[in-house]
Amino acid sequence: MLFTDLINSLITDTTQSIPRFGVELCLSATIVLMLLMRLSGLDRLIPACLTATVGALVATFLAYKQFDALHAKDAVVTTHIFTGLLVHDSFTVFFRGFLALFLLLTVALTSLTGIPDEEDSPDFYSLLFGATIGMMLMASANNLLMLFIGVEMTSVPSYAMVGFLKGRKVSSEAALKYVVYGAGAAGVMLYGISLVGGVLGTTDMSLLSQRLAEAAAGGSGGLKDPEVRTVALGTMLVMVGLAFKLSLVPFHFWCPDAFEGASAEVAGFLSVASKAGAFGLLVRFCLALSGAKGTESLMISFGLGLGFIACITTTFGNLAAYTQTNLKRLLAYSTIAHAGYMVMAVAALLVLKNSPQAATLTENINQSIEGLLYYLVVYLFMNLGAFAVIAIARNYTFSEEVDSFKGLISQSPTLCIVMLICMFSLVGMPPFGGFVGKLFIFASAFKAGEVHGFMYVVVAFGALNTVFSLVYYIRVLRTMFLEARPADARPVPVRLVSWESAFVVTLAVFVLLLGVLPHMMSQTANDAAQAIAQLPNP
Amino acid sequence: MVGETLRNLLMIAWLLPLVGFAVEIFGGFWGSRQSRAAAWIAVGCIATGFVCSFSALMIWGNANHWSVLHKADHGSSHESHDGHQGEKGHEEHAPAGHEAPAEKHGAVSSESQYKLTALAAEEAATAHAAGPTVYSGTLYYLARFGSLDLSLDYYIDSLTLVMFTMVTFIATCIHLFAMGYMSEELTEEYVDHHAHLSNGHHVHRPGRFYRFFAFLSLFCFSMLGLVLAGNIFQVFIFWELVGICSFLLIGFYTERKSASNAANKAFIMNRVGDFGFLIGLMVIWTFFGTFRFGETVNGKGEVVQAGLFQLLQRDDTGNVIRDAENGEVSVGAADAAMNPGNARKTIPYFLLVVAGLGVFAGCVGKSAQFPLQTWLPDAMEGPTPVSALVHSATMVAAGVYLVGRFYPMFVQEVLLTIAYVGCITLFMAATIAVVATDIKKVLAYSTISQLGYMMLGLGVFGWGAGLFHLVTHAFFKSLMFLCSGSVIYGCHHEQEMPKMGGLWRKMPITAFTMLVGVIAISGLAIPGLISLSSVFAFSGFFSKDAVVATSLAFVKSNPSHFLLFLMPLLTAGITAFYMFRLWFYTFAGKPRDMHVYDHCHESPLIMTAPLLVLSVLAAFCAVGGEQGPLFLLITGDQPAHVSHGVAAVAGASTLTLPGHDAVHAVHAEAGTYALIAAASGTLIAWLLYGTTMVNVAEMKRQLSGLHGFLVNKWHFDELYDVLFMKPAHIIGKFCTWIDRTIFDGIIHGSARVMIAVSKWDRLFDESVVDGFVNLLGSSTFAVGRSLRVVQTGRLRQYVMFIVVGVVALFAILFTTFPG
Repeated sequence: MLFTDLINSLITDTTQSIPRFGVELCLSATIVLMLLMRLSGLDRLIPACLTATVGALVATFLAYKQFDALHAKDAVVTTHIFTGLLVHDSFTVFFRGFLALFLLLTVALTSLTGIPDEEDSPDFYSLLFGATIGMMLMASANNLLMLFIGVEMTSVPSYAMVGFLKGRKVSSEAALKYVVYGAGAAGVMLYGISLVGGVLGTTDMSLLSQRLAEAAAGGSGGLKDPEVRTVALGTMLVMVGLAFKLSLVPFHFWCPDAFEGASAEVAGFLSVASKAGAFGLLVRFCLALSGAKGTESLMISFGLGLGFIACITTTFGNLAAYTQTNLKRLLAYSTIAHAGYMVMAVAALLVLKNSPQAATLTENINQSIEGLLYYLVVYLFMNLGAFAVIAIARNYTFSEEVDSFKGLISQSPTLCIVMLICMFSLVGMPPFGGFVGKLFIFASAFKAGEVHGFMYVVVAFGALNTVFSLVYYIRVLRTMFLEARPADARPVPVRLVSWESAFVVTLAVFVLLLGVLPHMMSQTANDAAQAIAQLPNP
Repeated sequence: MVGETLRNLLMIAWLLPLVGFAVEIFGGFWGSRQSRAAAWIAVGCIATGFVCSFSALMIWGNANHWSVLHKADHGSSHESHDGHQGEKGHEEHAPAGHEAPAEKHGAVSSESQYKLTALAAEEAATAHAAGPTVYSGTLYYLARFGSLDLSLDYYIDSLTLVMFTMVTFIATCIHLFAMGYMSEELTEEYVDHHAHLSNGHHVHRPGRFYRFFAFLSLFCFSMLGLVLAGNIFQVFIFWELVGICSFLLIGFYTERKSASNAANKAFIMNRVGDFGFLIGLMVIWTFFGTFRFGETVNGKGEVVQAGLFQLLQRDDTGNVIRDAENGEVSVGAADAAMNPGNARKTIPYFLLVVAGLGVFAGCVGKSAQFPLQTWLPDAMEGPTPVSALVHSATMVAAGVYLVGRFYPMFVQEVLLTIAYVGCITLFMAATIAVVATDIKKVLAYSTISQLGYMMLGLGVFGWGAGLFHLVTHAFFKSLMFLCSGSVIYGCHHEQEMPKMGGLWRKMPITAFTMLVGVIAISGLAIPGLISLSSVFAFSGFFSKDAVVATSLAFVKSNPSHFLLFLMPLLTAGITAFYMFRLWFYTFAGKPRDMHVYDHCHESPLIMTAPLLVLSVLAAFCAVGGEQGPLFLLITGDQPAHVSHGVAAVAGASTLTLPGHDAVHAVHAEAGTYALIAAASGTLIAWLLYGTTMVNVAEMKRQLSGLHGFLVNKWHFDELYDVLFMKPAHIIGKFCTWIDRTIFDGIIHGSARVMIAVSKWDRLFDESVVDGFVNLLGSSTFAVGRSLRVVQTGRLRQYVMFIVVGVVALFAILFTTFPG
């Protein structure tokens, strides 16, 4: 290949890729704009939060247009962009839209609560946007290196955001813990990537399963085969790296400390967005390794392993939340537990995809991804709702302890009702969205039980944990609704007609709508799921 | 188009009072109790309804070029009556367009959705413009149970339109009257002098002016819905609705024991009749498969199911068609192709009789016919406008209306029953009215008696005669009730006639209008006043004449039923007697009670104006008699077999029902008899009460046995007391005993057992179940607490856990994965 040919092909590739990268580019442009405005002092005229809102709005709109364009075509369209480093399909665009929307909501919340003061807000929003771009990269990665870059690009701004409340010892300590822990996990993951890439001779994820099948050919396909064993080790190490992002037990230790140290807004962002990106990546990674001839049983056992981790994680998260007195910490454990529920969907996906009857289970494989995506969307609204209520109340009480919420119903019923809806949804009670999400996930895990009986145990654990989780959520609600407001407590006068109320009520309405009208979202989620689940088997 | 316009107009007239009710019932909540707003809303609603109804009548008439009014010109000629004499500007007269433009036929007949259903062949041939006169369709689907459609339908023919116009007009008058009559309720604290507390004080309560008008509006809605109804089930729905309105209005002074008792009595006695109604409905549903009167038409204008009136077909003799093999009655046309939606079916003849009698039982209850007549006099406990509207002009006439509406379904046996029930009722009620002294009670018995006339008229095959009497009676009886209301209002709630007398000096308008009503109901007439061949008379004469003539024709063809003519003739005399007795007692002579007389005064304009309007109508609405516009309008869409009569056939019925020609033949004869009877009744009344020639008290003493019998209303209340109330009480006591000793015993015993079991259960619960649950709770909580220990906060330890975790996972993978 001549150099000019290479240059020409690169130019062609890039010009074709750039329109498909519009959302990320838009966010990047917003970052640059915000920084430039700060340099020129323009940010005193136009607050950074306004620029950020517009940027996020445009990004959401672009993502919507992209999804629309893909949806208009009958067949599943998968395009590899930037020389195959990223992949552009409905799944990618679903996550882009999801993350852009979430970014928009977070920006709205921060501008309502004013957590970055005017001086710092360009920095804060730059970090926020940068992290979001990293998450989008995670969800669209088609290369092991992009995987690593995406994870790091998400993590580094997150460290800074956790420690953003300067001068607070807890905050700085949390950020430091997060950095060190993240660095350790990144090392482990990088090691795993090098093992996988080294043995299989490629870092292109779309080639992984083919290469794995070639490597397993001739051998037993089990761990006795050294190549397969190495790949298995590498895979597990990569998964450990992702498990750190997902805060799965036993790689969750950073989570409660970081959440307690960070402001509620940041905690809400991290709990939903970085998990969403990591789940996108996990699904891609798992599917990339699935379906290789000869290693099906190994992959099933990985799926069962994930199921096992999921059981441990939910149980641990729920039980540990019992005795928490800090609301953010309590929700951190709740986040851990919910990550466990969602991993059940991935476990079901792995088990179904690698089962001998995979060809006849297409619909169920789609459903497992669909369930995960649906749960993520619901989780976005209900978890952000809960964190938003905490952030708004904190601005009046200067406290995030459970006790500071005592008898809040007498002062701001709106906040309490929204909290009630969000928490009941988190528990998984009908008619709220959480119920439908859990239903989807448990249904696909139950279906996977037909392939391997252990998945029934996983479902049982999921159901049992739903009961466990009731206890601590209800405890918070009881404090808010049934106890009397202490006389010396600071008043929380959030009126029904105010921006704060409008924001949280909007979130609550979506939680309710997703529970009452699942078709609204499940069709979209299904489209995205189809785009990825139907990758051709080698 | 015409059908839709009519439907929309009548729907507005029908639904507006409901809207009014919904607003007015909150009158006490939204406004002050001294406000007349509720009354004005009610008047506005019902008056708009009248305008709509009247417009609908006009539109209907113009659409078919008033063909019904011309039929008389082409029908059999008749010497004694001439159709278009003495037009006195009656409302339905004015636009009687004689110049029917024939070129509009095409436009009218394009209305294919609304089928011409009930025009007899003769009428179709003679009518100028054979436009459709019957419109039916569905307003709203309620539900579908299997093949049973429950829907709100409409069935609009000339009878519907006349009823709508009549009901809305009278209701408007009565609403206005009631605004004056009920004005005492416009207060925060109303003292009810007829209701006593246990300590002997009068009841003090807030005024209920708005509530009265809300109930009136609800009643108007129900009554109009009943008239508009297009299926028999819908009739039943509104039947019950007017029943509940009647209950609410009779018991308006709910603190009075007598009023609430009367309300209960009316409601319960109506239930007896409705029981029969339900049986009739079941038979109809089982054998006909539909409740609709008219045909069911789908969106494309095709007939998907025949209506009841089409299903029961009659042959040329007017008899129902019977199956040749088993003698059962055919349901639907013999030709299956003409019979969409219904397979060929038959109904046993006796069940057809049962269905007819069942529906008629409902009418007996509603129209207070023998043997369910005793509730109506008691219903006079309600305010007088209610008596005028509900218990004389409209609701009680609903039974008669239903008999008329359902006429095609009645066979000869049922009609004979109707005739005899009417006959017994009219005589009995008239005799009781002779001795009643309460002014409203006299009118109540008079109402029963006149309803009997209507039933008799329908029963002897005078379809038009019965309904004709219904409409004329509505006008003059509502007039008389309002007059009595005016008297009661003027005399400060004195209702006993023996305390009145000579009131015409104090209240001339009331006295004069009452006299008009009395002459109308008595059927007095002056032959040959305008021309030699005509009779000058008020409305009552014409309609009663029609009934009596029909019954004479009936008796002439069925001599064994001679009582059906003699009784009404005799009663015509009694009617004149007791009505003039009432008038003389009240208005003529010398005052008997100076206290009442001195405080008595004429009513305000808002009450006397309706009296004057109604008196004009009571006098002249029937002008022209059976050749007049009102009669022709009513009979415009009469059932097909009525005009020819029904001949007796061997093996079926031995009754011959007279057709129009037979009636016309005896008309002059019957009219003469009736006039003689009425005149003699009037004369006797004048002799007894208008002059002092005869000592009435002495007569009363002489005939004390008969008098007592009549005063006690033929002992019907006592009879029912012994027949039903006493046994019911005895059975009730027995049931109470069973309940107390046996069922309660069982229940108490089981309760004791249950308590004992629960005690043990509680012990088990508290020790075992709770112990387990608490153990579970505390153990999970302990686990949670211990998990907290892991979270030490030490960074070094955290990072080490990564390594430990990875190694542990790897170990697990290698130990568990088989190969």
